[in-house]
Amino acid sequence: MILQKNAQIGPGEARLRKRRRNQIVFLAIAGMIGGLIGFATGAFDQGDGNLFAGDWERLKLPPALALGLVVLLLIGFVAMPIYGFGKIDDYKREHNFIGFTGGCLAVLAGFPVWAALYAGGFAPPPHAFGIFALAYVAMLASFLFARWRL
Amino acid sequence: MKNRLKVLRAERDWSQAELAGRLDVSRQAVNAIETGKHDPSLPLAFRIARLFDMKIEEIFDDGEAA
Repeated sequence: MILQKNAQIGPGEARLRKRRRNQIVFLAIAGMIGGLIGFATGAFDQGDGNLFAGDWERLKLPPALALGLVVLLLIGFVAMPIYGFGKIDDYKREHNFIGFTGGCLAVLAGFPVWAALYAGGFAPPPHAFGIFALAYVAMLASFLFARWRL
Repeated sequence: MKNRLKVLRAERDWSQAELAGRLDVSRQAVNAIETGKHDPSLPLAFRIARLFDMKIEEIFDDGEAA
């Protein structure tokens, strides 16, 4: 049945299906790396913290596992996005660039704004996780804006 | 930028997915170009022109031509 369906589609659609399959594999690998990081920090945490929450400073890991996590994080947050940029088309790359620009601007403006708010007594002092969260949320919001409005 | 991509595609009875595959881009990219939301890069414009065996300016119109 699947072979019959494939025989009816043109060479372009067949190529597009292969492209989609590769994207699914890429996303599955990214999900596995994320799951592995979550499992490692959840199962082997000797403290009482979380890597992607405000209480990260209470996270305590065996040194070897911590180094392994560093490798996984660099793969997940640096290597895979750079590899992915080379595989997507111009249109989607533009969305990603807008997303990353939004995240970068949020940090550039967010830290001094937050510091000024702290100086004026309006907010707690700036902290690393807050800046990370600011960048992440701004990146996601910018990407979604680009994806649905542009 | 205006373009004739949708017409050229329809003349060949190709779906957006078929054209996208032939150009090695996503279907969303073809849709965005057809609707004028996205201008293709120069390499992609050349690929489009070669696929339809036409000149770039016969497909795309920036409104500046005399």
